Amino acid sequence: MDIVFQLLFQGIGIGSVYALVALGFVLIFRATNVVNFAQGEFSMVAAFLMVIFSVDLEWPYWISFILSLGGMAIYGALFNLGVYFPLRHRTYLPVIISTIGASILVSNSTLALYGPQPQVLSNLLDFPGFNIGTVYLDTQYLLIIGVTVVLVAFQYWFFEHTLLGKKLQATSQDKEMASLLGIPVATMIMVTFVYSAMIGGLAGILVAPILFVSIHMGGTIALKAFAATIIGGFGDVAGAIIGGLALGVIETFGAAYVSVPYKDGFAFLVLVAFLVFRPQGIFGERVAEKA
Amino acid sequence: MPLIELKNVSVRYGEIEALRGVSLSVEAGEVVTLLGGNGAGKSTTLRAISGLTKPASGEIIFEGQSLTGLGPEEIVRLGIAHVPEGRRVFPGLTAHENIMLGASNRSGVSKAQIDQEADAMFDLFSDIRPFQHVLGWTLSGGQQQMVAVARGLMAKPKLLLLDEPSLGLAPVIVSKVFEIIKEIRRRGTTVLLVEQNARMGLSVADRGYVLETGRLVVTGKPDELWNNEDVRAAYLGGHARTAAKT
Ligand SMILES: Nc1ncnc2c1ncn2[C@@H]1O[C@H](COP(=O)(O)OP(=O)(O)O)[C@@H](O)[C@H]1O
Ligand SMILES: [Mg+2]
Repeated sequence: MDIVFQLLFQGIGIGSVYALVALGFVLIFRATNVVNFAQGEFSMVAAFLMVIFSVDLEWPYWISFILSLGGMAIYGALFNLGVYFPLRHRTYLPVIISTIGASILVSNSTLALYGPQPQVLSNLLDFPGFNIGTVYLDTQYLLIIGVTVVLVAFQYWFFEHTLLGKKLQATSQDKEMASLLGIPVATMIMVTFVYSAMIGGLAGILVAPILFVSIHMGGTIALKAFAATIIGGFGDVAGAIIGGLALGVIETFGAAYVSVPYKDGFAFLVLVAFLVFRPQGIFGERVAEKA
Repeated sequence: MPLIELKNVSVRYGEIEALRGVSLSVEAGEVVTLLGGNGAGKSTTLRAISGLTKPASGEIIFEGQSLTGLGPEEIVRLGIAHVPEGRRVFPGLTAHENIMLGASNRSGVSKAQIDQEADAMFDLFSDIRPFQHVLGWTLSGGQQQMVAVARGLMAKPKLLLLDEPSLGLAPVIVSKVFEIIKEIRRRGTTVLLVEQNARMGLSVADRGYVLETGRLVVTGKPDELWNNEDVRAAYLGGHARTAAKT
């Protein structure tokens, strides 16, 4: 029984990372109706920024952390201006191709700068973990779960209880009507990209000590986030969170009981299974109603 | 000086010439109705005024200032609120939230103030008060129309553009909507009202224009238009008869 709790803890920990990335993914999708194929690179770029600041330059962790998140805000803004904004009046296809191009450009530039060997980022806390009974709680996982809970709570408050949150929702539901009311649509989309890049980056920084920091990190994370949004119902914010957590748990148990090498393959399996048998996601009906 | 003046405005959608040299004006305090059949260019006229569609030629002047080159976000800040065809209530926001967002064009107003003003809207739109915390998509067409008009009024507009507020509503709801338009008129807001339903449009208006395939064909006071044989036969009669039948 303890092994079940142990796996559940780890699954929720890694699932929180998927949830954060999926959340950023869904926010951009809702605001622009575009699937951002460069979402995973938000996490990769942030992890590399951490490597630059805290490993290469040997700056203190917290300063590096703040600089990396600030860097991601700028990256999100530039991404919007370079990848989405010039194509905003076109159909979704040119924009999708543009995001794929950005993904390739960013990961290959990183490859050119850092080479293929993975970088290592240490845990934030010196204290590695402790036991409750026979369940070992790794502090990095605890940190991830804690940050995710706080961020999800913050986001709920922000979207449901602030005027800016309502304006962001209005923009994602009907841009033309939003502009008729005087809501600055371009600014709302800018805010969305910046926020999305920052939570994707946060997820990358949190997960970096668990995974290796490499150019493949973005692709792996993007696939998981994508699967999470399919599980939760495409475009649904709550669904993305639940989907991310579910995927983390499924693949952790899959790795423990079925096969370790195929750990990343479970995301694919779940993705395909949902696409075939329940394309509307777990909360299908609710999403349809919300549309 | 009229509050708003269109001078020779033409609008094209690719090959289609939706407006051909339309000139019209609305004085402050007036309610003017723009009539015409389906596809005549009524919505296009309103879209050109609110900046959603750029005229190919001609000029639109509001309070002496040209609107050429301004986008919808800037135009609504000048005081022109557009309640578009099809109501366009945000489906995932509540009625109350929809109405609050109508004030987005006004700067320096606190959220608490907007909240209060939105509450006050339900005095005029008392039918939707019980539904204020219900999501937009669950509202009926008539309720959505009331939300859309209330949202437009939250902009504190000098000019309110209403596009077919009666479209698709049951007759009893239509008269409720027009009671509200009369009340808006009584409060002194200038209104440019687009209608296919000529009888309803003329019943609240000081003046009317009739648009046919992108051109203004006749203008006058409601009774003049109503009694103009050509107009009745060509544009209004058909609708009056349809209305009588249903
Ligand atoms: N987005 C558009 N693209 C192409 N043609 C359009 C578009 N919107 C309207 N039209 C055409 O312009 C003409 C005027 O349309 P509209 O202004 O909507 O008329 P009304 O509101 O009087 O029914 C119609 O022939 C219509 O088909
Ligand atoms: Mg129309």
